[in-house]
Amino acid sequence: MLDITNVSKTFNAGTVNEKRALDSVELHLNSGDFVTVIGSNGAGKSTLLNAVAGTWPVDSGSIVIGGQDVTGLPDYKRASLLGRVFQDPMTGTAADMMIEENLALAARRGRRRGLRWQITPAEREVFHKRLQSLGLGLEDRMGIKVGLLSGGQRQALTLLMATLQNPRLLLLDEHTAALDPTTAAKVLELSDAVISENHLTALMVTHNMKDAIRHGNRLIMMNDGKIILDVSGEEKSRLTKADLLQKFSELSGSTLENDRVLLS
Amino acid sequence: MGIAEYFASLNFMTLLKVVPGNVAQGLVWGILALGVFITYKILDFADLTVDGSFATGGAVTVMLILAGVPAPLALLAAVLAGCLAGLVTGLLHTALGIPGILASILTQIALFSVNLNIMGKANQAVSVDKYALVLSSRSNSTAILIGLVFVAVIIGLLYWYFGTEQGCAIRATGCTPSMAKAQGINISSMKLLALSLSNGLVALSGGLTAQYQGFSDINMGRGAIVIGLAAVIIGDVLHSAIMRKKQNFGVRLAFVVLGSIIYYLVIGIVLWLKMPTNDMKLFTAIIVAIFLAVPYLKERSRSSFARAAKNGGGHNA
Amino acid sequence: MKKLICLILALTMLAALCACAGKTESSPSVQSAGSAAAGSSSAAASASAASGSSSAAASASGASSTVYHIGICQLVQHVALDAATKGFKEALTKLLGADNVVFDEQNAQGDSATCATICNQFVADNDDLILANATPALQAAASATGTIPIIGTSITDYATALNLDNYNGTTGLNISGTSDLAPLKDQAAMLEELFPDAKTVGILFCSAEPNSYYQASVIEGILGGDGITCKEYTFTDSNDVASVTTTACAESDVLYIPTDNTAASNTEVIKNIAVPAKKAIICGEEGICSGCGVATLSINYYDIGYTAGEMAYDVLTKGADIAAMPIEFAPKVTKEYNADICQTLGITVPSDYTAIAAN
Repeated sequence: MLDITNVSKTFNAGTVNEKRALDSVELHLNSGDFVTVIGSNGAGKSTLLNAVAGTWPVDSGSIVIGGQDVTGLPDYKRASLLGRVFQDPMTGTAADMMIEENLALAARRGRRRGLRWQITPAEREVFHKRLQSLGLGLEDRMGIKVGLLSGGQRQALTLLMATLQNPRLLLLDEHTAALDPTTAAKVLELSDAVISENHLTALMVTHNMKDAIRHGNRLIMMNDGKIILDVSGEEKSRLTKADLLQKFSELSGSTLENDRVLLS
Repeated sequence: MGIAEYFASLNFMTLLKVVPGNVAQGLVWGILALGVFITYKILDFADLTVDGSFATGGAVTVMLILAGVPAPLALLAAVLAGCLAGLVTGLLHTALGIPGILASILTQIALFSVNLNIMGKANQAVSVDKYALVLSSRSNSTAILIGLVFVAVIIGLLYWYFGTEQGCAIRATGCTPSMAKAQGINISSMKLLALSLSNGLVALSGGLTAQYQGFSDINMGRGAIVIGLAAVIIGDVLHSAIMRKKQNFGVRLAFVVLGSIIYYLVIGIVLWLKMPTNDMKLFTAIIVAIFLAVPYLKERSRSSFARAAKNGGGHNA
Repeated sequence: MKKLICLILALTMLAALCACAGKTESSPSVQSAGSAAAGSSSAAASASAASGSSSAAASASGASSTVYHIGICQLVQHVALDAATKGFKEALTKLLGADNVVFDEQNAQGDSATCATICNQFVADNDDLILANATPALQAAASATGTIPIIGTSITDYATALNLDNYNGTTGLNISGTSDLAPLKDQAAMLEELFPDAKTVGILFCSAEPNSYYQASVIEGILGGDGITCKEYTFTDSNDVASVTTTACAESDVLYIPTDNTAASNTEVIKNIAVPAKKAIICGEEGICSGCGVATLSINYYDIGYTAGEMAYDVLTKGADIAAMPIEFAPKVTKEYNADICQTLGITVPSDYTAIAAN
C-alpha cells in the first residue's frame, strides 16, 4: 500500500543548521498494516510522515501510495489518498466552522468543489450516525462551532474526518500527545476501532512506548533519519519497554534518554 | 460664541435632513466594507489593494460612461477591472511568494499609474445632467433605494456563495490552512478567488461612489482600507453586542454595511456640530472610539476584576 | 432577529421621510427605479413635504432683512485657498452687511469624498449659495444640486473641471465663479525674457492635480511654438518630490512650476535641490515663488475670492442669471521676483518687477 524507496531529505543544506532528516529510508507497508513509529527527538518520525503527506518535496527517492506515484505531487493533490490527524488539535479542524461543515469538507476531499450547496440532508444523516459511533455526544451538536469543543473532542472529530472516505493510508502524527491520559486513551481506542473496522493501512507516530507496543501489528524505530528496527507480528507482541530501550542502545550506540518516552 | 449660543445654533432638523445623504454614502461605501470583510475576516489577509482598486472602479466607470456606455454596463466593467487587480495581488503572493500585505501594497502602487492612464488625467467629472447615472447626490432618496437594492442583492449572493462547496473551501483556507490542505483544497486558488471577489466588490463601490459624487479622482481611494476596516469592526462589535449567541452569516454581512452607514453618520454629526474644521478627523476618531468602547465597557461593568474583588475578596489573604 | 428587522425598517423609513421632507429637486437623468416607491412614502409626510418644497431660487428674493446662508466648501488648508475664502467672506460681509449673512465654513481635509458629504449638508440646509473652493469641491457641489447657485474659486479651468462641451466662458449651469489662471502666455514671455538662452524647460508638478496638467500642456504649446523643448517631470505626492526634482534639474536649463498644491507644500525641498544645482524656477503663483522660485506672474488669491464674493452678491440680490455669468479672472497680475534666490543665482531682474515682500 505504501512504498517509500530510498527517500532522503536534508533541511537547511549548506548552512550551519544543516540536518539530514531522512537518510535513504526504505519502507514498505502492506495493505492493512498498522505501523507504530517511535524514536528519540529529531529521529525523523514526523519528517517521515510529512514526506509521505507531501508537505514538501523530497530530495531523492520515490513515494508510492496504493500503486500511485505521488513523489511529484504537492500535499493537497495527495490528500484524496490520505487521512491525516495532526498533533495539534487546532490544525485538523476549522474552528470558525460548524461540525457538520467540517465533515462536509472532509466528505469532498478529492472531489471537485463546485457551486453546489455545501451539505445535503442525506449527508447530515450519515454524519449523525458516524458521530454517534464516536460516543461523545457530538451528534446532537452538529451545528456548533468547532472552536467550542475540547482538544479531545476535536481530535476525535479530526479522526472521523480523516477516515470518512476510507483513505488508502491514515497518518497519525502523535495525535494524542496534547491530550490528557483519559482522553488520549479514548482517542486511541477510537483509532484502533476505526482502523480495524475498515481495514485501513495506518502509520502512527508516538512517543509512548507502551502504546507503540500495544497498538498495531508492526513497529518501527527510527534514529538519525534511518529506520533501525522493524518488528512485526508475534515478535512485536512479545516486546516490552525494556527490550526496546536495550535494542535502541545496541543499534544506535547511545541511550534513549527522554523523559516523555521513559516515563510514559 | 458662548456655550448657550452654540447649542442654540445647532438645529436638530438640519441633522435629520443630512441623514439621507450620509445613509446613501454609507450604503455605497458599505459595498467596499463587504469586500474588505471577505479578505480581512474570511480569508485573514490584510489586503491594501483596495486603496487602488477603489479608484480603478471609479476611473473605469467614469471613462466608459463618458464614452457613451450605459452606466450599468460601465459598473460591470469596473467589477471586472477590480477582479483583475485582486488577481494580480493574489498571483504576486502565491506564484511569486511575496508576503500578502506587501503584494497588496505593490499592486496599490502600480494601480496609481494604471488609474492615471485610464483617466488620462487626475480628475474626471461625470455630470448627472448629461448622463444617465445609476445614482447621484442630486437625489439622495433615490440613491438610498438603489443603494439598498445593490446591498441586498450582494449580501444575498455572498450568503449563498459562502455556503457552497467553493465558498466553504475559501472559509477553511482563511481559518486553518493546514486543515484545508489536508482536505485536498488548493489554498493558492482559494486565495486568488477570494481576492478577486473582494476587489471586484471594492471596484463596484468605487464606480458607484464616482457616480454619486459626480467625479472620479486619482486619490479617491486614499484611506479606503481604513474606512473599510472601521466599518467591518464597528459592524462586528455591534453584531456581537446585539445578537449575542444567535449569529447568522447573512446578518453579520448586514451589520458590516450598517457599520459603514454609522461611520458616515458620525462624520455627518461631526460636521453638524460645527467643530473647528481642523479638528474634524480628531472628532470622527473620538466618536468611533466611543462606539467601539461602549459594548466592551458594558461587559466590563457586568464582570470585571474590580467587581470580583468587591463581591468575594476584601479579606486579607 | 426581529429586533434587527424592526431597526432596519425604522431607519429606512426615517431616511425616506427625511429625504422627502427636505428637498424636491428633480433629476431628469437619474434612472429612478424607485421613484414610485419614494412617492408613496412621501404621502405619509405630506404636511412637511408641502412646506419643504420651496426651491432655493424662491428664497433668494432679495428682501433687505433676509439673512443669507452661504455654505463654503474648501478642499484643504492651503495659504492660497484660505486667502480666496477670506476675500469671498469679506466681500459679502461688506456688501450685504454682517448681520445679513451667515457662513457655514467647512474644510474637506484634502479628502474628495468628504466634499460630497459637506455639499450634501449644504443642500439639506437649503443654503442660498455655495462657494466651492477647488476642483473636487466644485464637482461635488455640482453633483449635489442643480438649483442652488454655486460660485467656484481657485479653479483653473471650468471646462475641464466640469467636463463641459462647447465652452465659451459661461457654464450654462447653476455655476459660475473666478479662475486662478494667470495668463500663461505672459508667464511664458516672462520665462523667455529672463532666460533668452534657455533651450530646455522642465515642467515640475504633481500628477494627481488636474489643474497642473492643464497649465503644463498649455504652456508647453506656447514655449514649443517659440522653439523651446519642454519635458514634464511629475511626482505622485510629497514623498517623491525630491527625486523627481533632482532629475528635472539635471536635464533642464530652466524649470517651471504651475499653480500646484503639492509643490506649494514642498517648496523647501525643491529649493534645496534647485538652488545648489543653479537652476532657476519660474512659478505659477507667488506662494511657490517665495519658497523656491525666481520669478512669477502673480495673481492675488484674495482678489479672486473677493471678486467671487461680488459675483455672489449679484446672484443673491440682483437676480443675475448665474448660467450666463462669464467666469472672471484675476483683475491684476504683477511681475514679481524672489530677491534672495535671484541674488544667489546671480540673476538680474528688469526694473518693472516687484520684489516679493518677505513675510
